[in-house]
Amino acid sequence: MSKARFFFPDVRLKRLLREPGGITIGEALIRADEAIDGMRDACLQSIDQKIAEIGALNRDDASATNGRCYTLSNEIYAEAGMIKLSELSDVAHNLCDLLSAAGKQGASAKAIRVHVDAMRALRSPAVSASSELRRAVLGELHRLTAHLAIHTHDDAVR
Amino acid sequence: MLVDGSQHSLEVTAQILKGFGVLTVHRFDNILETQKFLKQRTADLLVIDPSIEGGAGYDCVSELRHSGGPAATMPVLLVCGHVHKADVMRARDSGANFVVAKPLAPAVLLQRLLWVARDKRPFVDCGDYIGPDRRFKFEGPPAGSEGRRAEDLKAPLGNAVEPNLSQDEVDAMIKPQRVMI
Repeated sequence: MSKARFFFPDVRLKRLLREPGGITIGEALIRADEAIDGMRDACLQSIDQKIAEIGALNRDDASATNGRCYTLSNEIYAEAGMIKLSELSDVAHNLCDLLSAAGKQGASAKAIRVHVDAMRALRSPAVSASSELRRAVLGELHRLTAHLAIHTHDDAVR
Repeated sequence: MLVDGSQHSLEVTAQILKGFGVLTVHRFDNILETQKFLKQRTADLLVIDPSIEGGAGYDCVSELRHSGGPAATMPVLLVCGHVHKADVMRARDSGANFVVAKPLAPAVLLQRLLWVARDKRPFVDCGDYIGPDRRFKFEGPPAGSEGRRAEDLKAPLGNAVEPNLSQDEVDAMIKPQRVMI
């Protein structure tokens, strides 16, 4: 049986938050939202570059580029979500799932391409402006990935 | 203090914190610089993406807790994007105060920040693990085990032998306190 020591460290953050003054929670949230809005264009540019990089990597050996694609799609997932592009964030999260499940042997190039195409479509001005079209892109992506999963499984059995 | 492999995530999170009124935000996109900083200085809060450099963020938090320096007990928030199943245990055992899922929304980050500030859990040092008590619930030792803590009840609880206290009796036992909302 290991002997555990319990103690309560002095945490400066606790003291700071108890001090009088400062701003209200509502004001803090408004200011944070404004700060994010100010970075929106730079984030969109970075997301576009990352989508293009995944597309380019997918043309090379899948097993060698799997890790980099995973890192990039994970970053797109976080950055798109921060600026409230939830569908784009969902697609990037799906791609993370796919790459994570495929492991070292690498995910199917077709499946990755489908995700890259979906992300590019969601970034196009026509689709990004319409919630109906964005939902349609997501629906089509889920249909195609399910279709590809069945075919990949059939190929593996043969 | 922010640590993230993505420059844009770092920038956006820094802007959120500045919106909250944080004056100085130290940003790092690699573990080496983070460790150098933590050896010499401390901060009020560490927000770190553990997936940086292939998962080195988990070890960075664990090493910080074991360092014994002034920064060893600082509040730590892990901000995780897509997480592998195996990493959930690593996150819990790293010694971080809370895990927050990305994408970060200002309201969620602020709520977790307030949680850390109001966290009443003690720190535990049991050799392998140093960090906030990982147990949130106090339901006694698992069924069939004796328990490892001195305060764990050894004998089984029997049925109540007296009637329950009335609400007035319960109220009389609780010290009234000012509530700050």
